[in-house]
Amino acid sequence: MSRVVCQVARCFARAKTRGSVVLAIASILGCEPPPITDSGVIGVFGGVGLGPGQFSYPRAITAETSGSVFVVDKNGRVQRFSPDGVFESYWRMPETEHGKPVGLKVHPDGRVFVADTHYNRVMIFDRDGKLLGSFGSEGFGDGQFQLPTDVAFDAQGFIYVSEYYANDRITKWSPDLRFVAAFGETEIEGRRLSRPTGLVVDTEQTLWVADACNHRLVRFSLDGKVLNTFGRFGQEPGEMRYPYDISVSPDNTLLVCEYEGNRLQWFSKDGRSLRIWGHAGRAPGELFAPWGASYGPQGRVYVVDSLNSRVQVIRP
Amino acid sequence: MNCIAFALPFDFQQPVWLWLVLLVPALIVASLRSLAGLDPVRRILAIVARSLLVILIACCLAGIERVRRNDDLTVLFLMDRSYSVQAMQQYQEEYIHDAAETMRSEDRLGLIDFARNAYLQQPPMRGGYFIKPGRLPVMPDTERTDVASAVRLAMAMFPHDTGKRLVLMSDGNDNMGDVLTEARRAQADRIPIDVVPLRYEHRNEVYFERMIAPTHAEPGEQVTLRMVVGTYRRASGTITIYHNDRLVTMSPEQSHVELAPGSNTLLVKLVVDTPGVQTYKAFFQPDDDSMDAIPLNNTAGAFSFVTGSNAALLITADPQYDRPLSDALRSEKVDVVMKAASELGEFDLLQMQNYSTIILANIPAQTFTDQQLQNLATYVKDMGGGLIMLGGHESFGAGGWIGSPVEEIMPVSFEIKHKRVIPRGALVLIMHSCEVDRGNFWAKEMAKKSVDTISSQDYFGMLAYSYSPGGANWEVPLGLNTNKAAVKAKIDRMSNGDMPDFGSTMQMAYDELTVGLGKDAAQKHVILLSDGDAAAPWPKLVDDYVAAKITVSTIGIGWGQHVMEGTLMNIANQTGGKYYPARNPKQLPQIFVKESQVVRRPLIVDEPFQPRVLHASSELLGGIEAGREALPQLGGLVLTSVKPSPNVLTPIVRMTDDGDDPVLAHWQYELGKTVAFTSGYWPVWGDAWTKWPKFAKFWAQIVRWTMRQEAPANFDTRTTNDGKRGRVTVDALDKDARFLNNLQMRTNLIGPDGKPTPLRFNQTGPGHYEAEFDVEKSGDYLAAVQVFDHGKASGTIRTGLTVPFSPEYRDLIPNEALLRQVADITGGRWLDVPAPQADVFSHDLPPSEAKRAAWDWVLAWLLLPAFLLDVSVRRLASWLALSIAVEVVLLVVLLFGMGLRYSPWWGVLGAFALAELVGWTIRFRSIGPLFEWMTGTVTALAHAGDRSAASLEKLKDTRERVRDEFATEKGDRGKRVADETSPIPLAQAKRRFDAGDEQAVRPVGDLRDALGGAKAAEPPAKPSKPARPPADTDAGEDDVTSRLLRAKKRAKKDMDENK
Repeated sequence: MSRVVCQVARCFARAKTRGSVVLAIASILGCEPPPITDSGVIGVFGGVGLGPGQFSYPRAITAETSGSVFVVDKNGRVQRFSPDGVFESYWRMPETEHGKPVGLKVHPDGRVFVADTHYNRVMIFDRDGKLLGSFGSEGFGDGQFQLPTDVAFDAQGFIYVSEYYANDRITKWSPDLRFVAAFGETEIEGRRLSRPTGLVVDTEQTLWVADACNHRLVRFSLDGKVLNTFGRFGQEPGEMRYPYDISVSPDNTLLVCEYEGNRLQWFSKDGRSLRIWGHAGRAPGELFAPWGASYGPQGRVYVVDSLNSRVQVIRP
Repeated sequence: MNCIAFALPFDFQQPVWLWLVLLVPALIVASLRSLAGLDPVRRILAIVARSLLVILIACCLAGIERVRRNDDLTVLFLMDRSYSVQAMQQYQEEYIHDAAETMRSEDRLGLIDFARNAYLQQPPMRGGYFIKPGRLPVMPDTERTDVASAVRLAMAMFPHDTGKRLVLMSDGNDNMGDVLTEARRAQADRIPIDVVPLRYEHRNEVYFERMIAPTHAEPGEQVTLRMVVGTYRRASGTITIYHNDRLVTMSPEQSHVELAPGSNTLLVKLVVDTPGVQTYKAFFQPDDDSMDAIPLNNTAGAFSFVTGSNAALLITADPQYDRPLSDALRSEKVDVVMKAASELGEFDLLQMQNYSTIILANIPAQTFTDQQLQNLATYVKDMGGGLIMLGGHESFGAGGWIGSPVEEIMPVSFEIKHKRVIPRGALVLIMHSCEVDRGNFWAKEMAKKSVDTISSQDYFGMLAYSYSPGGANWEVPLGLNTNKAAVKAKIDRMSNGDMPDFGSTMQMAYDELTVGLGKDAAQKHVILLSDGDAAAPWPKLVDDYVAAKITVSTIGIGWGQHVMEGTLMNIANQTGGKYYPARNPKQLPQIFVKESQVVRRPLIVDEPFQPRVLHASSELLGGIEAGREALPQLGGLVLTSVKPSPNVLTPIVRMTDDGDDPVLAHWQYELGKTVAFTSGYWPVWGDAWTKWPKFAKFWAQIVRWTMRQEAPANFDTRTTNDGKRGRVTVDALDKDARFLNNLQMRTNLIGPDGKPTPLRFNQTGPGHYEAEFDVEKSGDYLAAVQVFDHGKASGTIRTGLTVPFSPEYRDLIPNEALLRQVADITGGRWLDVPAPQADVFSHDLPPSEAKRAAWDWVLAWLLLPAFLLDVSVRRLASWLALSIAVEVVLLVVLLFGMGLRYSPWWGVLGAFALAELVGWTIRFRSIGPLFEWMTGTVTALAHAGDRSAASLEKLKDTRERVRDEFATEKGDRGKRVADETSPIPLAQAKRRFDAGDEQAVRPVGDLRDALGGAKAAEPPAKPSKPARPPADTDAGEDDVTSRLLRAKKRAKKDMDENK
């Protein structure tokens, strides 16, 4: 009997009916109200607000493989969460008047590199928000940035920074923060990079770039040679609409976060679409202008669901 | 009912209705009789239900209220952050922090800070004071102190169910509002206001108390400026005076003054030799700066109107273009001053008073600020000035004047409504999210400005990256701009998103402007507003724009600090638009008006035409004899529409097959007059006119017609200001120095913000009239008073005053008397001690009561169930149905009575259990016997097998016994047995194995007896019914009539026997 009532209560819960008699009976019988879930979603945290654990239009996320999750929002706050989405601490970017960051990555040694987009620099913090340093300045020359968007690290400790606007390129920096090289400034298959917003180095030590406004992924060797590209504008599998972020899964496939496509798409390295997850909406399992996605501990994927001001955790 | 209120958690608004409860005993007595036929249980239930009904009806009529009492306390601090106490902000914050240490966990603390306005900084919250020292937001407009507004806001912020206390921290120098009135309201609400006085003393201070100048003067007259300077200590310094912004030369002896403690009057005489408004400003510079704590109060100002001013101001875009007009006017002895728009300077309402009429010669609207546009309208409407607008490529609708305050005062509408073929423009805005502070806010404001600027005949659309599933989206689909209010509402609701690139939105705009609704527009324009951080559009799209002649202007919002200009500049340059770096939000209106008017270019008609005289009798054409000779040709005009008003005259028009276009139109609008001449633009359109012999006379007549018709009355006018209120006093005498009584005076007072406020004059003595007004802002206050003597206009008085600085800068010591008054009125305390000793969270207030009407709740959840119970007790014959009804009613009352949403699970379970208990108690009475019978049956059936076996054994024994008897008889009477085929009669033999006759009439259940089983229970007793004579039992098949007849006979027989 109680199982039947619990099932009924579950139906009510799915229909988002609250306070019904059925739910009351179910609770009397000891049924836990079932979570409203969709396929693969194992957690949602955040919500609109300026309080701890809340977001005001979060735009970038990075997760340590065994540790915390960092999110930066359009309020200029970098917040740290446990893998289960429990708020741990936060810090503010030193300056936010011109604009707020759109990218950040955790270095394997625990430092947090934030692409301080509108101040044309990359700022380095420890995991508690203590400012350790920064590099880059506004300009078009070597070692200068025009709206940096993301950061990536290779196995040798070199740092890669993507930028757009007038530069639309990737710059490579030594582990001691010296400019090494810039690449991606020429046409690639007939088009220059246009707003590269996501960077990741895969296990084969090649650099993947989410070339957002060209709706494609570009693969570079670490010395800047173009290895291959794939993707085009569209909604079909294998196509993309403004890929804003890219991450590598433990099984070495590519996870692409599509800003306008409102979905995640997994690709093999030769460009085959393996899986698609999500669609536009407000409910769990749905996305609204997601800016970033990152693999975290235990194979979880953390998606920053920007216009829903939340992070969704999924197990693909 | 207070005795009840103190004892029970409810109260009554009109307890007199509770006397209805006295009906209950009578009802019980009456019910015992009327319900005598009912079963006792039903009778009790019915009586209970009816009594409950009466009680509940009485409660509803008495207006039952739920009362919640607690002794929790909410303390709201009111922090004065006006200029006079700005040095004491830290002290106030520390005071609150210290006070928060003494609060209990249930208490709440809130903070409201105030100066001119009051702001809630911390809503009443448990747990303490959460704003760190120095983290309060910047207080705007600290020039005034309005304690009353803070008290008002605080009283609205209190939770209803706690004790309430206000702690006012202030110097008491309240220069707005009426704090004592608010204090009385607080006292009525039993909210004490404790006062923490903020103390300071500026003993070393020099300040201007006032400056007085005559309101009116004649040209060449020597006027006396009277300055009153106050000081606490002896001081010395230098007075500097500016007359019409020019330094007045004074000798050192005259300018250097020694001031004695108290008020010092200084007199300076000046000669005013030019007509118009004369402004005076004075500054005091002390010799020793330490003698002056507040420099902001070292200034004073005043102004006079000097009669004889009748000049016209010609504002021109290019003096060369308008030279013919100014020369022509001067040749007709019209005093005209020609200024380029760039020479206007501040051009406030006071400066406008120097001119009797203003001519706008091909001037676009964005030349003026919003305030100046409003001033132009006020200058005409309320100050009686004249305004003439001449045509040109930058004028009327083509000059962005649509929707401006000036359009309202002109005789023509700048929108085209009378044409069959209306030239349309199409404007598309593309809005990109701006990272800078309030960037999106300003973007929306400007979008609304565009909607106002363009005509209702134009197409308007707005694109944004607003996170529809497809990304870029038409927030306002391209369509005619007819419903501007609806479009602006949509803009307000819009959410600007981060656009990855400009290409997607620009492509949508292009498609709509080339193949969509906007394809037939004569002028297509796109305004792209962004901080520039989206990716550039693809080159082919830009080429498409160029080919389709769609211009794109770009506006970079970043306040000069952070705009990625490159992409925006490229787009504008390539498509023929303009790039505007918006360095200041104040620039945006002009930019948007200018850009939006691009689509109004179709309003310009650049083709020669012959103007026709429509109304030769117009006073503007007097003496021109325009009807007899043809007017010279004009080379073009700006299309407008005549306003549908009988006051509008259109003496000259351009006649076309598609209706007449006004060339010259005029009307009087409230106090002033306006003229629209839609052509002009002399070297381009009106060369023939400038050579026309009557050109000068024509224009002189027009200008003179519009000039302010001022007939100064012989009145002595004075203005004074006491800090909070300004006062105008008028002493009216006729030429024989007799008092003029019962005059009517009407005017609008124009404040520094340009907003008109009606000014009411009251006669307070013979020929003496007074009017008062608030002087909430520093600046110039102006009024043109129209005087009516017995309904007939008898003159106009121009007057006004200057408020040089806020009274806030005059506060040298706290106003403790006012603060003590506030505390006394409200029963508050004078907290002249540190916060820990002040004990602001002391729980010495009476417990708070929160009352809430409960009659509707009683009606819905108690009264209606009781009514249903009463009905069901009497009408439901079945006990089972009755028990269910009682159960449901009880469950409803219990569940909703205690509030299902808030009750714990055990409460719900308890309600179920109680209802079931009562239901089964009633039900058991009915089906208890049945239950017993069923129990017995089941038990019997359970033993049926045993009984069968026993019966079988018994049968076997019987058979053996019979067989033995047969064998015995056979041995004794063998022969007789052999002769008889059946020694025992069949019927007798059957009976021996049957249950017998007596048993056969028993019910089937009694078979158990026959079989030797357990004794069955007696049949259940039938419900008590009136006993019937046995004769009735065989009358089952009789009809009702015969039964009634028999009953009647029986009754009659009984009666006879009784006798």
